[in-house]
Amino acid sequence: MKRYLFIISRAPYASSHAFEQLEAAMVAAAFDGDVCVLLRDEGVWALQAGQKGPAIAQKTLSKVLTALPSYEIDQLCACASSISARDVTAHPELSVSYLDLAQQARLIKESDVVITGQP
Amino acid sequence: MKYALAIHGAPYSSQAAEHALEFIEALLLCDHSVERVFFFHEGAYHGLNGQVPAQTQHVTDLQPRWAALRTQNIELAVCIASGIKRGVVDAVEQQRYDLPSATLMSDFTLVGLGQLIAAIEGADRYIEFPA
Repeated sequence: MKRYLFIISRAPYASSHAFEQLEAAMVAAAFDGDVCVLLRDEGVWALQAGQKGPAIAQKTLSKVLTALPSYEIDQLCACASSISARDVTAHPELSVSYLDLAQQARLIKESDVVITGQP
Repeated sequence: MKYALAIHGAPYSSQAAEHALEFIEALLLCDHSVERVFFFHEGAYHGLNGQVPAQTQHVTDLQPRWAALRTQNIELAVCIASGIKRGVVDAVEQQRYDLPSATLMSDFTLVGLGQLIAAIEGADRYIEFPA
C-alpha cells in the first residue's frame, strides 16, 4: 500500500474542505494506506481548543481530529510556523507533531501520494 | 504509465477542468492510460445534467469533451458524498432520498471515496486539479 499525505491548508468551517479531506483520509486508512494528515496555513485553526461547531450547525472539527487514531491515522502533523504566527492553542487531547519547513518538505518527498485540493 | 486524476474545481468557475482535459488529451496522445477521473468537492458539479455555459465567456462546452473521454473507456466518477449534497444524484439516490429528479449526466457514475483510493492504488501517478 502507498503512503498518503493529506494536506489541509484552509480554515475550518469557512468551507467543507477540511471535513472532506479528513473523510478521504479515513477512507485511505480503511484501505490499509499509511496515512498522514498535515495542517498548515489557515488549516492549523482545526487544532484550536474550545471549538463549538454546533453553534453554527456543524460538527466540531477538533473532535473529528481526536477520533483519527481510531481510524488508524496516527500521524497528525502541523506546520510550526503557521501555528506560532496565529498563536493557535491546540486541543489538549490531540497528539500533534510540529514540523518546520524542511521537515514538511521531507514528509512530502517521502509520501507516495499527496492530496491537497489546493491551488 | 497509468494515471489517476481528481478534479476539485467546479465547471466554468475554475480552470481545473480545462487543465485536466488538456492534460488527459496529451496523455492519451503519448500512449499513457487513464482509468478513472474522480470528481471531488466542487468538482462534483461536472456531472450535473443541463449545464448551459455562457457563450460570451466560454469557447467550448466541457460536457462533450468529458463524453468523448467516456467513449475511450475512461470512467467519469463523481464522489457520492460530494455529489448528493450538491444535488448531483443518479436514479438510485433520487429514490433513496425521495428527490424530484435524477440529475447525473449519463456519462458519469456516482461512486464512493473508496474508488478514488482504489484508482490511486492501481495507478503509477496521481494528479489533482484544484479549484
